[in-house]
Amino acid sequence: MATIVRADVTRELVAPWAEWERRYTQGRRLLEAGTYALTEGAIAAGCRVFAGYPITPATDIAEYMSKRLPEVGGYYMQCEDELAGMHACAGASLGGLKAMTATSGPGYTLMHDAYGWALTNEIPLVVVDAMRVGPISGITGAPGQGEFYVARYCTHGGNFETIVLSPSSVQEAFWLTIDAFNLSERFRTPVTILTDQVVSDMWEDLFIPDAYDALDFIVPRKHNLMMPFFPLGTADLDVPPNLVGQGTGVCVSAYTHTEEGYDIEEMEAQWAQTYRLVNKIRHHRAELARYETLGLEDAEVVAVAYGADARTVKTAVREARRRGLRAGFVRPITLWPFLDELFARDCHYVVCELNYDGQLVREVTRAAPDKGKVHFMGKSAELHTVAEVVAGLEGVARAGRIPELPYIWTEVR
Amino acid sequence: MNRLARKYLRPSQIPTKACHGCGIGMIENWLLQAIDELGLKQEDVIFGTGIGCVGRQTFATWGGDNFGATHGRALAVATGLKLAQPDKKYLIVVGDGDAAAIGTSHLIHAARRNLGVVVICEDNMGYESTGGQFSPTTPAGYVTNSSPYGMVEPPFDPCDVVQAAGATFVAETTATQWHQTVKIVKKALQNDGFSFVHVRFPCNENFGAYALGTRDTGKNLEWIYEHTQGRKADGSAADFTWATGIKHDASNSRPEFTKILRDVNARVRAKAEAR
Ligand SMILES: Cc1ncc(C[n+]2csc(CCOP(=O)(O)OP(=O)(O)O)c2C)c(N)n1
Ligand code: SF4
Ligand SMILES: [Mg+2]
Repeated sequence: MATIVRADVTRELVAPWAEWERRYTQGRRLLEAGTYALTEGAIAAGCRVFAGYPITPATDIAEYMSKRLPEVGGYYMQCEDELAGMHACAGASLGGLKAMTATSGPGYTLMHDAYGWALTNEIPLVVVDAMRVGPISGITGAPGQGEFYVARYCTHGGNFETIVLSPSSVQEAFWLTIDAFNLSERFRTPVTILTDQVVSDMWEDLFIPDAYDALDFIVPRKHNLMMPFFPLGTADLDVPPNLVGQGTGVCVSAYTHTEEGYDIEEMEAQWAQTYRLVNKIRHHRAELARYETLGLEDAEVVAVAYGADARTVKTAVREARRRGLRAGFVRPITLWPFLDELFARDCHYVVCELNYDGQLVREVTRAAPDKGKVHFMGKSAELHTVAEVVAGLEGVARAGRIPELPYIWTEVR
Repeated sequence: MNRLARKYLRPSQIPTKACHGCGIGMIENWLLQAIDELGLKQEDVIFGTGIGCVGRQTFATWGGDNFGATHGRALAVATGLKLAQPDKKYLIVVGDGDAAAIGTSHLIHAARRNLGVVVICEDNMGYESTGGQFSPTTPAGYVTNSSPYGMVEPPFDPCDVVQAAGATFVAETTATQWHQTVKIVKKALQNDGFSFVHVRFPCNENFGAYALGTRDTGKNLEWIYEHTQGRKADGSAADFTWATGIKHDASNSRPEFTKILRDVNARVRAKAEAR
C-alpha cells in the first residue's frame, strides 16, 4: 500500500479569508498573540464596544481593547460580571454600535441569560470563549474543548440555531473575527468564536492589513427603522438590525414576540418566532460553511479535529501519509451549524478533541455513513502529539481500532 | 384613556393585564405627568423594564422605544445602550426583585458609575408575579407565601444601598403620594447621572391578601399611608415608619458615566493627533 500513496495531497480551505488574504497584501507583519489578533480583527470589523470581565486566557483581549477602543472612538467597559458584560454588549448593539465580549468557560456559562436575550431579539454581537480544561475553573493555563455543545445550546428553552466558529492559528483568529462580525450582522444573531487557550495565548506570525477602512468586505452596521421589526415566519438574510433610541417605537424583550416586538402568549406567535430563529440559519447553511481538508481524494482514514488541536493532528496526517497510509484530514471551522457534508465519504474517521466526554465525535458519528467506522481519541489539558495521532491512524488502518495509548480515551457512551 | 395616556402610550397595549386595582398603572400615569411637565416627547425617552408584574405590565405600553430585559438585567442592558444613545432619557421601571435581589450588583455598579438613567423601583414588597414570595424589601415578620411563619430575614432599604454606592439622586415615595412622586420623578429626570426613585405600592392580590389579610385596594393603600406617617388611623403607633421624600440630592454634581468614557476618547485621540 505504501508505494501508491500520493504525497502531493490536495489541501482545501473554504473560508472567505482565503480570498481576502489574496486581495490584501499591503500591511504589517508582526509577531503577536492570538488575543491580539482577536482584538485587531474586531477593531477592523468595526467593533466599537467591548464589555466584559477578565478571565484567563481571554484577559489580554480586555486589556488590548481598553487601549485600542478609545483610539478609534470606541468604548471599553469592565463590568461587574459576565452577565452584565454580555447584556451591556447587547444594549450597545441595540443602540447601533458593534460590540464584543470575551471570556472563558466560567464566564461563558454566566452569559447564557444574555445570550438568549440577544438571540431572541436578533441582536448582532460577537462572543469569544477561549476554552480551558474544566469543569469549572479547571487549570487556567491549559487548553480544553469542553464547550462544543455548550456553545450550540448557549441558552435555555430550545427553538434556535447558533453560529459558532473556531480558528486554529493567530492569523486565522484575525480573519475569522472579522468574519464573525460580518455573519452576526447578516444573520442578526450573536456569533461565538470558540477558541482555546493555545490559540489565544500563542504568539505567531501575524499579517495585519493597512487601513481597515479600505477593506471592502466588512459588513457595515445598517439600521432597520420600520416595521416589521421582527420578520417572523421568514428566513430572510440581511435584514438590518433594529435600532433603539431613534423613537421608531421598536420593542425588544425576553418574551415571545410579535412583529412589533410586543409580548404575546400564543402558539402561532411562538411558532413564527421559532421558524425565524431556526430557519434564518438552517436555510442559509451553505453561506456558513468554513473548513479545511487535506487528502480527501484517496483517504481511507480521516483525522478530524478543530482549533489548536487540529495543528498537531494535521501534521500527524502528513506524517502518516509519508509512512504510506491513505490518511486524510478534516478541520471544521464552522462548528455550528454542524457541517454534515464534510463526513459524506464512507471511510474511517478518527476524531481528536480535548475532552474525555466525546463531544465532536458524536456529531461526526451522526453524520458519517458508517457509524462503526468512527473512532474517538479524547485527550485533556494538552494537545495530541503527532506520535499519538499517527499511532491512532495506523491502528485504525491496520486493525480497525485505536490502540491503547496513555492519557487517550476512546470510549464514547 | 386619559389625556396623558393618549399622548404617550400605545393604545394597543393598554389596559394591561394587571389585576384590578393594582397600583402599577397609577404610578405609570404619574411618570407620564412628570414627563409631560418637563416637555419631553416620546422619542426623548427610552423605557426599560425587567421581569415581574412591574416589568411585564409596563413593557411596551410606552409609545416610544422599549426594552424588556431578563429578570434583573435592565440596568446591565441600559449601561451599554446609554453608551450608544447618550442623549436620551432612560426610565428603568423595575420591581423590588429586579432591582434589589437578582439585579442588585448591576444596581450598585450603575450607581457607582453614575450612569445617566432614572430607576423607578416599584416595590410591592415581594415577588408578586410568581405568586407572592418575600423579597429583600418585605418588612420583618410579615407573612408571604414563602414566609408562612413570618419574614425572618432582615430587609434592607435599597435607597441606602444606592446612596452608599454613589447615586447622585435618591428618593423614596409611595403610591399614596401623588404630587410628591411627580415632583420627585421630575427632579430625577433632570439629573444627568444616576437617579433612584423607590416607590412602594400595594399588591392587592398577593401581599395584600397574605401579609395584610385583604385584597381591598383602599385598605392596602391605607396600610401604606399609615407607615409613611408612623401611626395608624386610630392614633396608635405603626410597627415601623418609612421616611419618604428626597433622601439625597447631588444632581449634576459629578460627571455621568458615558460622558467620562467619551472624555477619555477625546483625550486619547487629541494626544494621538498631537504626535
Ligand atoms: C432568572 C430568573 N429567575 C426567576 C424568575 C421567575 N420570576 C419572574 S418574576 C420574579 C419575581 C419578580 O419580583 P419583582 O421584581 O419584585 O416583580 P413583581 O412581580 O413583584 O412586580 C421571579 C422570581 C425569572 N423570570 N428569571
Ligand atoms: S399580582 Fe399584585 S403586583 Fe401583580 S398585577 Fe396583581 S396586584 Fe399588581
Ligand atoms: Mg415585587
